[in-house]
Amino acid sequence: MNRHEEVLFALADDELIMGHRHSEWTGWAPHIEEDIAFSSIAQDEIGHANLFFKLLAEITGKTPDELALGRQPHEYRNAIICERPNGDWAYTLARHFLYEAAEKIRLEALQDSSHQPLADVCEKLLREEVYHQMHADSWFRRLTLGHDEGRAIFSNALSIALPDAQGLFDPVAEADLRDLWIEGLTGRFDEAGLSVEFVENRPVPRGEHSDDFKALWDDLTRTYREEPAATW
Amino acid sequence: MEVWEVFQQKSHSDPFVHVGAVTAPDVDMAMSYAKECFFRRADGIDLWVAKRSEVHQIRDPHLLDQVTDKSYRFPEAYRGVVEKREAAKARAAGLK
Repeated sequence: MNRHEEVLFALADDELIMGHRHSEWTGWAPHIEEDIAFSSIAQDEIGHANLFFKLLAEITGKTPDELALGRQPHEYRNAIICERPNGDWAYTLARHFLYEAAEKIRLEALQDSSHQPLADVCEKLLREEVYHQMHADSWFRRLTLGHDEGRAIFSNALSIALPDAQGLFDPVAEADLRDLWIEGLTGRFDEAGLSVEFVENRPVPRGEHSDDFKALWDDLTRTYREEPAATW
Repeated sequence: MEVWEVFQQKSHSDPFVHVGAVTAPDVDMAMSYAKECFFRRADGIDLWVAKRSEVHQIRDPHLLDQVTDKSYRFPEAYRGVVEKREAAKARAAGLK
């Protein structure tokens, strides 16, 4: 796999797996409006994955469905943060906030890619991501300006998600973009008076998965595997 | 949490129309939920939300009742006006 393909698989799988995890909240989110909003964001992320898989389809000669659903678990290249179980609503929102912040930086950088089709896709996605960031930001403000209890739970969730989330930048962007992301986050944490410690760590490399991934993969690909040749 | 009334404009030539309501803690969330609940399928070009508590209802809806004959306020009341006028003119001419 060359570097360009590595980047595309990383982008596609992050969106696919993140979208899948988000979709697990459908029917369970704290209230009906949020249920609809979060489910819609989940659908958006999977739509974004589809655009990256289409670029990969041209390179690999496989269909986007084959790429998204026809691979073995070890072939998925998502960052480990995307596959972590949803846990509670606080962890989900903490991860959502960190993910959206990272995605904005990644897509903005890739908008200038010398590979024009990729640059075009990134430009398009950024227009939709603006809305995802608004959603994540609203929750960040609600939870950090609200009661002490919610604030403490959310702050703890950010601390748990932060080490894993650092893996979102490898190999998609250079280290200075990860630093930009950390700088932005630190600013937001300080502003909100949160004491979230930023610990430098080496995240789980892409292609390595947690034990939780098998169940996710099973769920994600089950229908496809029943009859891979079926047209929908 | 507050209830926000949602208004949707389908195109530049359409007025804003009330389409429903969402429950949200602040205006940003209300916008976000209104967008997701009512604009999921390219349903319009503009969106307003307004706090339900800021929408005022008429104190006595009976004030809207039509108590006396107001038929003259409806176009139907003016059907045949031309014919009536012509008939009146003819009658007036006959009287001369």
